[in-house]
Amino acid sequence: MQLNHAQRELTLKIVYYGPGLSGKTTNLRHLHAKASPEVRGRLLTVETHDDRTLFFDLLPVFFSTSSGFKVKVKLFTVPGQVIHNATRRIVLQGADAVVFIADSRRGATADNNAYWRNLQENMKENNLDPSQVPVVIQFNKKDLPDARTDAEIEESRRRGGEAVVGAVALRGEGVLETFHAVAQAAYRRLDTRAHLARNLGLTEAEFLGQIFRRMDLTGTALATMYGRAAGEARSGDGR
Amino acid sequence: MNGASGSGASDGVGASRRESVLQRRLSLADMLDLPSFVEVVRSFSELYRVGIKVMDTAGDKLADVKVGHGDFCSYVFGFPEGRSRCTATVARVKDGPVALVQGARPASGDGAEAAGIIALPCFTGLRYLVMPVRWEGDELGRVILGPFTPEELADLPPSLTDISGVDLSRAHELVARVRRVPERTAAQVLVHFGQVLAALVASGQRAFLATQLHIEAMLETHRELEANNARLAQANTRLKELDRLKSTFLGTVSHELRTPLASIIGYSEMLAEGLAGALNPEQLLYVRTIVEKGESLLNLISSILDLSQIEAGRLRLVMGPVDLGSVIQTAVSSVAPQAQRKGVELEVCLPPLPQPRLAADADKLRQVVVNLLANAVKFTSSGGRVSVVMSEATAQNELAAPGYRVSVEDTGMGIREDQFENIFQSFYQVDGSSTREHGGAGLGLAIVKSLVEGHGGRVSVESEFGRGSRFTVVLPLQPPLSEHGGFSALAPTPSPSGHDRF
Repeated sequence: MQLNHAQRELTLKIVYYGPGLSGKTTNLRHLHAKASPEVRGRLLTVETHDDRTLFFDLLPVFFSTSSGFKVKVKLFTVPGQVIHNATRRIVLQGADAVVFIADSRRGATADNNAYWRNLQENMKENNLDPSQVPVVIQFNKKDLPDARTDAEIEESRRRGGEAVVGAVALRGEGVLETFHAVAQAAYRRLDTRAHLARNLGLTEAEFLGQIFRRMDLTGTALATMYGRAAGEARSGDGR
Repeated sequence: MNGASGSGASDGVGASRRESVLQRRLSLADMLDLPSFVEVVRSFSELYRVGIKVMDTAGDKLADVKVGHGDFCSYVFGFPEGRSRCTATVARVKDGPVALVQGARPASGDGAEAAGIIALPCFTGLRYLVMPVRWEGDELGRVILGPFTPEELADLPPSLTDISGVDLSRAHELVARVRRVPERTAAQVLVHFGQVLAALVASGQRAFLATQLHIEAMLETHRELEANNARLAQANTRLKELDRLKSTFLGTVSHELRTPLASIIGYSEMLAEGLAGALNPEQLLYVRTIVEKGESLLNLISSILDLSQIEAGRLRLVMGPVDLGSVIQTAVSSVAPQAQRKGVELEVCLPPLPQPRLAADADKLRQVVVNLLANAVKFTSSGGRVSVVMSEATAQNELAAPGYRVSVEDTGMGIREDQFENIFQSFYQVDGSSTREHGGAGLGLAIVKSLVEGHGGRVSVESEFGRGSRFTVVLPLQPPLSEHGGFSALAPTPSPSGHDRF
């Protein structure tokens, strides 16, 4: 988190981590498509010729609070290929929350575990305490044969403290829910550390509302939480 | 930005490592390739014949193209009052807020409001349009279009005409050179320029971040490799130390083994000679077997001792004038019984005339020849032939100096070419199996190589597998002095990876 009181700016960083081809970039593409242009910037991607992420993807989401603070949430993906560990470590620097995109297929379990360990190591390398930085696990590719069942995913949720979301990112299923879970977790952690509500007048409801009222939530459970009408009522428009 | 804030919330970024560019807020200049951006601005200005300035939030000019208004503005600027009014206007345009305050009003035109364009009047009747450069919700700078002459301007305003000394006809003549355009058209040009700028910033940001991250990733990888190298170097030092300890240990143990063994051989010899009373034939055979096996064990232990001393760098060569021919003859006579027992023919070919002596350690040279001959006999089967040939003292290519060439050739089993390098390593056996046919500890050739190189010579092997081998030793007449001024056998080292050039 970067908090600049003089310029009244707050910048958050959320990193999408996980094995290669688990769907990190797909998540960001879907969020980009669903966010209204007034809250999001361009999706910056640096890919190789075969569509593999080379360095990172970046999607900025931003708004101004009712108290006049500019808030920017930067969503990054790391490159998943094994050889890019140095880049993953750099991108992870200063993360406020992490989404771990796991491949739901049972055959990918070893890979998921390897990258989970890699995440823990790289967090430590960056002086990020894995017990303090919230992580949301997305079980992606739930539609594929050999994928874990809902019961198995539920069991995996019970094994750790992380929030767990099932997803089919290519169809957009679970992507907004994952983002919502990680944004909420990030807010709660920063509120604990920097008292955003007290010091900035930025409540969790406003933080999430500013973002999710400007996203197309059609077909998700979030749609009822962030109705359009409520969105219009608050004017935190930075434009 | 970058935690340079007054907030008490310190961030979790590792202090030891450099902050990544991803953590920085980029300026407009970071995200634009300035030379090509200036070209774009120039072509825009020339196309619409209006000046365009682009400035970042710090007030630095990134591009500044003047079209048409230069002469008029200079003329007005030439009057003291004109100068002060001009300075005030320019200050408002360049440094004032891009907001509807301090004389600004919204510019008319499609999309002008969404783009946040404001119109600012000049006291001369001309006009500026100013547009903020926004990127991801941040304001990174401003674009200033103008001054241009608004289409509706009928006559020069009093704020210009009341300046004392202004020649109206001259002013009219010069203002005619300034582009006259409706404000909404100018606003459209600016909106369009904003779109081009956004595209340029997007691709510039991508290129900038990718390049920077590439460098960061390389540095990070480099750091990782250095740490690994340091660990390996440490392990290597430790291994070298262990290796040295091993050599010392071997030397000590070999020495301790030789003393009692010498007694065993000595007493056995006395028994065999009948000093303790006559032995019956069977007893004599047993005792001789003890002596023979004891001697071969002593030889083996001596080799180990030699090699451990060589490896520890402690084997000194005692140099003196040596007649190589007689060294070879002595060596031949010591392996002759062995060859005879095995039914291998031994052949010696020395130069017909006496040859100059060479400076060497005679004992060690004999050991070299004995080791080579003993090996040749060992690996040659009955009915085969082993020959040793010594050249005259002539120039030797390998040494770039005069010297001798001694070849030991056999008709034995031969060595495969892929083994040529290995056979000179200590403890190496071509046949490493426990059931191998030929005995030995695999030290003979390693000792040969160290001793020959200690004399400044070279040893090499040629062989045809199944047909025989030829080992060639080349020795200089005068060995080159080592750095310490003394001579010692060289510890076997892996072939050097390169020489210092400077």
